[in-house]
Amino acid sequence: MLKADNLASFKQYIFVVAITWILILILLLRYFQLQILGYDQYSKKANTNRIRKITTSAPRGLILDRNRQILVDNLPTYILNTIPGELVDKKTTFKTVSNTLGLDSNMISKNYKKYYRGKFIPTRLAKDLTFNQISRLEENRIDLEGIYYQQFPERYFPSKTRASHILGYVKEVNKEIRNSFLKRDEYELGDITGWSGLEKSYEEFLKGKRGVQFYQVDAFGREAGHITDFLPVDPEPGQNILTTIDINIQYIIEGLMSDKKGVVIVGIPETGEILGAVSAPDFKPDLFTGRISENDWKSVLSDHDKPLVNRFNRGLYPPGSIVKMVTAAALLDNQDFDPHKTEECLGAYQFGDRVFGCWNIEGHGSTNLTSAISKSCDIYFYKTIDYYNLDVLSDFFMEFGFGQPVGIDIEGELKGIVPTVDYMNKRYGRSGWSKGALLNFCIGQGEILVTPIQVFNYINLIATRGNASLPHFVRLNKLKKNKFINIKEEHWDRLTLDMKEVVMSPSGTGKNADPGITGLQLFGKTGTAENPHGDDHAWFIGWMEFNGVRFSVVVLHENGGSGGTVAAPIARKIFENLVKENNLISQK
Amino acid sequence: MILNKSFSYSELPFKIIWAAIFLCFIGLAILKSISQNHVGDLLSNPFTKQIIFLIPALSLSFIIIHIPRYSIHKYSYAFYCIGILIVILPFFNQSHAGTYRWLNFGLPLSIQSSEFAKIFTTIALARYLSDNTLHMKKFTSVIMPIILVLIPTLIVLNQPDLGTSIVMMTPLLPMLYWSGARPFYLFLILAPVLSMLTAFDTTVFTVWAIILGITIISARPILPVSLFLFFGNIFLGLLSPLMWNSLSTYQQSRILTFINPEKDPLGAAYQIIQSKTAIGSGGLLGKGWGEGTQTHLKFLPVQESDFILSVLGEELGFILIFIVLSTVGFLISQIIKNSYESKDRFSSLALIGVATILLSHVFVNTAMTVGLIPVKGLPFPFISAGGSFLVSSFIMIGLVSKLSVNYVD
Repeated sequence: MLKADNLASFKQYIFVVAITWILILILLLRYFQLQILGYDQYSKKANTNRIRKITTSAPRGLILDRNRQILVDNLPTYILNTIPGELVDKKTTFKTVSNTLGLDSNMISKNYKKYYRGKFIPTRLAKDLTFNQISRLEENRIDLEGIYYQQFPERYFPSKTRASHILGYVKEVNKEIRNSFLKRDEYELGDITGWSGLEKSYEEFLKGKRGVQFYQVDAFGREAGHITDFLPVDPEPGQNILTTIDINIQYIIEGLMSDKKGVVIVGIPETGEILGAVSAPDFKPDLFTGRISENDWKSVLSDHDKPLVNRFNRGLYPPGSIVKMVTAAALLDNQDFDPHKTEECLGAYQFGDRVFGCWNIEGHGSTNLTSAISKSCDIYFYKTIDYYNLDVLSDFFMEFGFGQPVGIDIEGELKGIVPTVDYMNKRYGRSGWSKGALLNFCIGQGEILVTPIQVFNYINLIATRGNASLPHFVRLNKLKKNKFINIKEEHWDRLTLDMKEVVMSPSGTGKNADPGITGLQLFGKTGTAENPHGDDHAWFIGWMEFNGVRFSVVVLHENGGSGGTVAAPIARKIFENLVKENNLISQK
Repeated sequence: MILNKSFSYSELPFKIIWAAIFLCFIGLAILKSISQNHVGDLLSNPFTKQIIFLIPALSLSFIIIHIPRYSIHKYSYAFYCIGILIVILPFFNQSHAGTYRWLNFGLPLSIQSSEFAKIFTTIALARYLSDNTLHMKKFTSVIMPIILVLIPTLIVLNQPDLGTSIVMMTPLLPMLYWSGARPFYLFLILAPVLSMLTAFDTTVFTVWAIILGITIISARPILPVSLFLFFGNIFLGLLSPLMWNSLSTYQQSRILTFINPEKDPLGAAYQIIQSKTAIGSGGLLGKGWGEGTQTHLKFLPVQESDFILSVLGEELGFILIFIVLSTVGFLISQIIKNSYESKDRFSSLALIGVATILLSHVFVNTAMTVGLIPVKGLPFPFISAGGSFLVSSFIMIGLVSKLSVNYVD
């Protein structure tokens, strides 16, 4: 039955052929679109498919003392990573990991969630692994597809000192922290970043730069050959930071303050370099490396004395008598003031309807400026009210650096309070305060609040006759000077002599600070600052001159009581040790 | 008018044969690239497997050339029944990953019987349409061909093999058109499908209903028929969401991920994304033979069959894609030309059917690799690796060669 003729018309033929070629043309156009027009886009995509970028962490810079002894070091530990996209069966792999390394499997999945940032970004599973654990991991390599380990430098504190408030601590970068960074691309989750102290202030220098390595991987994430078109970049270690700290001095003052609350700062007046600084109580510097127990951590957090607060730049204290040199300098500056004229101290002073007492309720008797400083007579200084108003006096305080941050290179510095008329009006209202406020102010009581670091700068200014550089912890090529203080040479002479009396004279309040070493010259001032929250704060500030070098000392014993009997003895021990260590402290 | 002439090899359609062999060589070159580092026996290596299967493929096409044309015509329905049988048989076998596509005779190789059934169905359809020419102006005469095609198609759809069942069905419309069916009837065949597809979007469905109405009115059937056709289609459209639920999840997911690739970046859409990346990154000249990173780092799935054109695009670039698609277009239009020039209706219709099968394979496979249609497991003729498919492709070439020569035997 093959007789039926073909009836297909030419029209039908053309139609079917046309449809065939239209379909072919559609396909060709689509290929043209992908291969010619989309070439760049898809090339890039093919490369991201096959190229795995792995960044390697850079060791953080070390923190050194002035003699290049290591304060903060790096301890090599291992961290365990996974590339999520390469895990065949997450559950089983994690189980194998926890069995092989003896780790808690819950912690692994918890970390996985915490650090997960993308399918092909290494995600941390565990840290602080030992070499031993890593060896066991290597033995089970085959079952652990997608699991990697990496050396990771942890912060480590090899020196005998703690210096926790100076060095500060580092924190692990989590998602929240990373998002808060401007330069967030420079950090991976699990990296460490300076979170306080020098670690934070000098983060830029310490952190270094991550390195990058490229691998070619196949669709299952297995390494498949090297890549020649992208060169690896080695990690750049962070820079070491050379501080002004002297480990020995720091160790000594930490010992002196170990059972006390307060601040000790020791330094070099001319340069403003800090040889040691303690904010007591402090904490172990490795508190934040994550190796301490939950209990230790809780006890630090709940400690009533707030060991985490850095007192030397964030503690606000009434200075008490230690600021009398400002008042004295102000008085000396006044034409009408005669430093030799004596005043009678009977232990109390009537101003208006209020009685202002001297700390010595029996009175100091006949007092001139020198004995007023050396015996710390309050009544004598109340006379300031005859010469100055509040604003003029506060200007003098400002000149000595109070009421403004000194710019110490540890963040969070508070500026304290120097009362001015404006300030008083704002705080108490125009009629809420009287002129008598000046009587408190001129002896360092009342509204005035200072930070120990301001006091350190202040004593440096007196020791150098206004030529001290600003306090700092990290050695600088170019020192930053204080503002010029317009005080006559002869007035500086007077203040210096009077301060020598405080320590060296048998009737001086600071005589307990004198260790009685031949050739050791001491200058100082005690302070017993009343404070509304508890016992008096004991202050001693001063400097020593020995063999042509000068060291300044600030001692604050919080709620310690009398400056002369509590703070001065601490200072004596410091002076003794400074004489001993003198030759060892590099002055360069 | 049939020429009374004896058989001569010189009359074979060499343009078509050479085009097929050329494509086969391109395929071998790509398979060689893919299997460069292949370890395993000969049959698991796509390149050697392809070469081994070329032996039965070429032999069968050579044998077909020598089968008398009247035998083909005479036993068309017998072949059709065998076709039905071989697509049913796998259901009595054990399933392969939940499918019943493979026929196993206890040999190390299984046969995908639907590859052969689609040819038998086409021949049977050609036979029916050539025997029943005169009635083609009546719509009822379209019903029998539809049933003829629908039986094996539905069986294959249940294997389940969506791709092959589509290929099996596509010759129906062109062959009906070729044998002179009213275009309106062809429209009526297509209409239920479109009614179902458009039902998922109200706006599209409204537009479709308007087109449907206008077309029915302009064809001017009697009123009850018009109403039946119109509302029948609308009813079907409203039913289709129910039918959608009856699809297997893997079919649903393929369609859904095609519509929204972001939905399942590691399933079907992953394949499309990797395929497009491979093709796009090939550019004009390609990355070079054996140099395709998408291919050799295994980002590209099923690269030896479904996505072989993506390998071609990645390694040899747009130039080779252009050459291959042009060659395929040439091959198919040559078959259509021979069909038009054929003296008897049976041969002409069978040729059109084969051309349609090849074209549907080419279009579905290629459009899939470039993300124009959802992923269908369909290979590219002559190039993709595949035992049954390679043999069936060359059987079609043998058939085309046989039916293109106008003589009486």
